Amino acid sequence: MNVQYKKGVIELCVLSMLARRDCYGYDVSENISRLIDISDGTVYPILRKLKNDGLVTTYLQEESGGPPRKYYKLTKLGREQYLSDKNEWLGFVESVRQMLEEDDHEQD
Amino acid sequence: MNRIEFLKRLRERLDALAIGDVDEIVSQYEEHFAYKQADGYSEEEVAAKLGSPEQLAAQFATAGEGKRPGGSKALTVLGLVFTDLFAGMFFVVLYAWTAAVAVLSIASAVLGACLLAGFNPYSLIPGLPYGCALLMAGSLIALGVLSAVGCLYFGAFTRRLARAYGRYRRNLLAAASGRAIAPPVSPQPFFPARVNRRLRRIAWVSLCAFAVGFVAGYIACAASAGALEFWHAWGWFVQ
Repeated sequence: MNVQYKKGVIELCVLSMLARRDCYGYDVSENISRLIDISDGTVYPILRKLKNDGLVTTYLQEESGGPPRKYYKLTKLGREQYLSDKNEWLGFVESVRQMLEEDDHEQD
Repeated sequence: MNRIEFLKRLRERLDALAIGDVDEIVSQYEEHFAYKQADGYSEEEVAAKLGSPEQLAAQFATAGEGKRPGGSKALTVLGLVFTDLFAGMFFVVLYAWTAAVAVLSIASAVLGACLLAGFNPYSLIPGLPYGCALLMAGSLIALGVLSAVGCLYFGAFTRRLARAYGRYRRNLLAAASGRAIAPPVSPQPFFPARVNRRLRRIAWVSLCAFAVGFVAGYIACAASAGALEFWHAWGWFVQ
C-alpha cells in the first residue's frame, strides 16, 4: 500500500489508541506496527504533528527503574477530531465495500 | 547500520531541514533502541525496522513545521470584525427571543395558578365564573409547560449556533495564521436520545392539553355568558 496513504490511516489509529488511554511513544509504535506493516519509526513524526496541531499534549511520568516516559494525551479538540475522522473513515470504508461487492456481482 | 550511525544520520538530516527540538526527537529514537534491545533485538535489526533516517527526518519536516500562512491575517481579522458586528446583532435577537419565550412561559403559568387558586392580585384578572376559570387555568398551565419546552429547545439551538459560529471564527483565524483547523460544529441542537424523547412527549401532551383546555374554556365561557364574544357580556377591558 502507498506510504502517504497509510500515513493518514495511521494518524487515525494513533488517535484511536490515545482515545482509549494515554500512551508513551514506544507503546504506540509497538501496538501499531504489530497490526499494520509499516516502519517502526513512522509513528514518531505523526505524534509530533498531532502535538503541533494541538490534538494531543504530552506529560512526563516517572517509571520505576527507568527514565521518565513522555506520555501522550488526547486534548478535547483531539477527541473531537478523532470522532469526526472515525465517522468519515467508517463511511468511506462502507462505500468502498459496497462498490467492491457490486463488482463481485458483475463478475458472477 | 548500528545505533550510533542511525542516530547520527538522523540528527544531521534534521539539522539540515532546520527542524526544532532535534534533541528531543533523537532521544525518542534512542529510547526506541533501548526498549527494542531490551527485548533482544540487535541494533541493526532495530535500525532496519525503524526505516531510513533520511525518510524519517523528511516526515518530521512535513509534520506541521513548515506550514505557511494561507492568506493575509490582517484582512481576515478586518473581515471578522464586520462579520462579528452583524452576527452579534443576530445573536442579540435570538437570545432576546429565548428570553421572551421564557417570560411567556412564566406569565402563563402564574396566571393559570392564580385562576386555579381564585387569587386575583390588585383585581388584575377580569372576573369570570370559577368553572370557566378552572378550564382556562388548565390550558394556561399547559401553555406554560409548552413554552418552557420551546424555550429549552430554542435556548439550546441558540447556544449551539453561537458555538458553531465561534468555531468558524477560530478556524478562519487558524487558517490565516497557518495553525491547524478544527472540525466544524453542527448547529443542530443536541440532546441525549432519552431526554429528546421525553421533551417531545411533554411538548405533545402540553400542546393537546392547551388546545383542549382553551376550546373547552371558550365554550364554557360563551355558554355561561350567553354570547359568543363573552368578554363584551362580562364587560371586560372596559374602564
